[in-house]
Amino acid sequence: MEITEHMLRTGSRGFRDDLARAVEDLRRSGQGLGLAWSLAWHDVVSRYRGSILGPFWITLSMAVMVLGIGFLYAELQKIPLATTLPFVALGIVFWGLISQTIIEGCESFVQASGMLSQTALPMLTFVWRTVLRNLAALLHHLVIVVAVIVGFGLWRTLNLPLALAGLVLVLVNISWMCLLTAIISARFRDIPQIVMSIMQFSMFMTPVFWQPGARVGMMDAVLTWNPFFHMLDAIRAPLMGLAPEASTFPVLVGMALIGWAVAFGLFTVTRRRIVHYL
Amino acid sequence: MSRSAKSPTAPPRPDQAFISVRDLTLRFPVYGYDAKSLKKHLARVAVGGQLDQARHGSTTVTAVTGLDLELRAGDRLGLIGHNGSGKTTLLRALSGAYEPDEGQIEVRGKIAPLLDLSLGIDPTATGLENIRLRGRIAGLSARQVDEKMDEIAAFTGLGPFLAMPLKTYSSGMQARLAFAVATAVDADVLLMDEWIAVGDADFQKIAHKRLLGLVERAGILVLASHDLDLIRLYCNKVMRMDAGVGSEVVSVKALDELLARPSVR
Repeated sequence: MEITEHMLRTGSRGFRDDLARAVEDLRRSGQGLGLAWSLAWHDVVSRYRGSILGPFWITLSMAVMVLGIGFLYAELQKIPLATTLPFVALGIVFWGLISQTIIEGCESFVQASGMLSQTALPMLTFVWRTVLRNLAALLHHLVIVVAVIVGFGLWRTLNLPLALAGLVLVLVNISWMCLLTAIISARFRDIPQIVMSIMQFSMFMTPVFWQPGARVGMMDAVLTWNPFFHMLDAIRAPLMGLAPEASTFPVLVGMALIGWAVAFGLFTVTRRRIVHYL
Repeated sequence: MSRSAKSPTAPPRPDQAFISVRDLTLRFPVYGYDAKSLKKHLARVAVGGQLDQARHGSTTVTAVTGLDLELRAGDRLGLIGHNGSGKTTLLRALSGAYEPDEGQIEVRGKIAPLLDLSLGIDPTATGLENIRLRGRIAGLSARQVDEKMDEIAAFTGLGPFLAMPLKTYSSGMQARLAFAVATAVDADVLLMDEWIAVGDADFQKIAHKRLLGLVERAGILVLASHDLDLIRLYCNKVMRMDAGVGSEVVSVKALDELLARPSVR
């Protein structure tokens, strides 16, 4: 990682100057991705310090949840277990990635206030830290994913390249959401609770556990206008050997473009101020 | 406002550290308690009330006004001034954390900010892990940290305790560790907020020696302190700050004269 060898900072000279500086921050954070990864990995290690299973505790509790909910919904919705269990398992694992990243995104800058207020480290490093930390957690939970893929014979039909493309698109999308919540929660301290409520509400409105039936009326609206449905669908459908909705990938690409434009625009405008919010 | 005499000095050699601050103004918003709550913001908009301005409003504080400063390699500047006169804010601006609202800051060289010893310290991690983490934050690569690890570990004098979580340390031990890592980075520009006096008498002595070495190696030192003896000991130049306004930079020999002034304005 580069240490400041030469630093020139000037007062704001309008939006274009701010934009250039925000882009510079992005570039330096990209170079310092190793630092972001070190911090992320340190977070993972320290969070589960002293426990034997480490992050696999979360994997274990997820697995228990998958089994419980899988059996329950198979019974409730009268769908064979062989369909429900993989559906629920993949749903819970990838929903965990999406919602945890967004919720933890709120703390990205607040938690790093000590570092931000006395070093010239790029701010986006701390956004990548949150995203990478959750990616590291996902790597542990892949145990569940592999288990259902092998256990239910999904490997015969799955479309891995498409699922990976879906995962990349989801990561791009949750990254801007992470940046957005990081900035807003630095300024307004009650945002984390609001984000948490939104994510909880979204979990019930998104087919994480329940299988969407026929797309009519209310159900159609819930799925079409729910960004989280598309995010989940882009990864889960290919893994289950199904084709994602025709609109899913275009929606994700559009959402990534607009979302990054908005989040990066806000970052450009507030970047100088964020350190004072903390 | 007084400006340092701009004698036509030659441009600094490219391999040497320098700091150039021109007409620096720093303002920042201080938010009242309720201004940090979005719900209360919305509620206020909704009821349109004029409740308590001090709690709701955000006030802008001007911490540094129109400051000029030129430092070359070999300059060891002492910053003096009352609490709240903008010393720490200036140091944070020099570290790159605060961006100017007006004016310009130019710094060449590796910067080591020793403003807060607890930077990047995780109390639940072991001493060794903390050394690693702190070194990475200070800009060392993973390999560089490994190379310096033995030296840092030896300097802390904590031996087997380094394998234990930091929270089991006494505050003196914590300070030893933090100090050892913070000063392990070869820097050209050293920023210090108050002289870091840590540990017991033995440690003070070696810490003092290490700091002297660091100051000699570093091109530039900027030290904010209330302790005039320390300033006389380590610095060759002084600047006094008064409500965000900086005096001209004078030789440390003129410290008393600088202090005798009613105000720098």
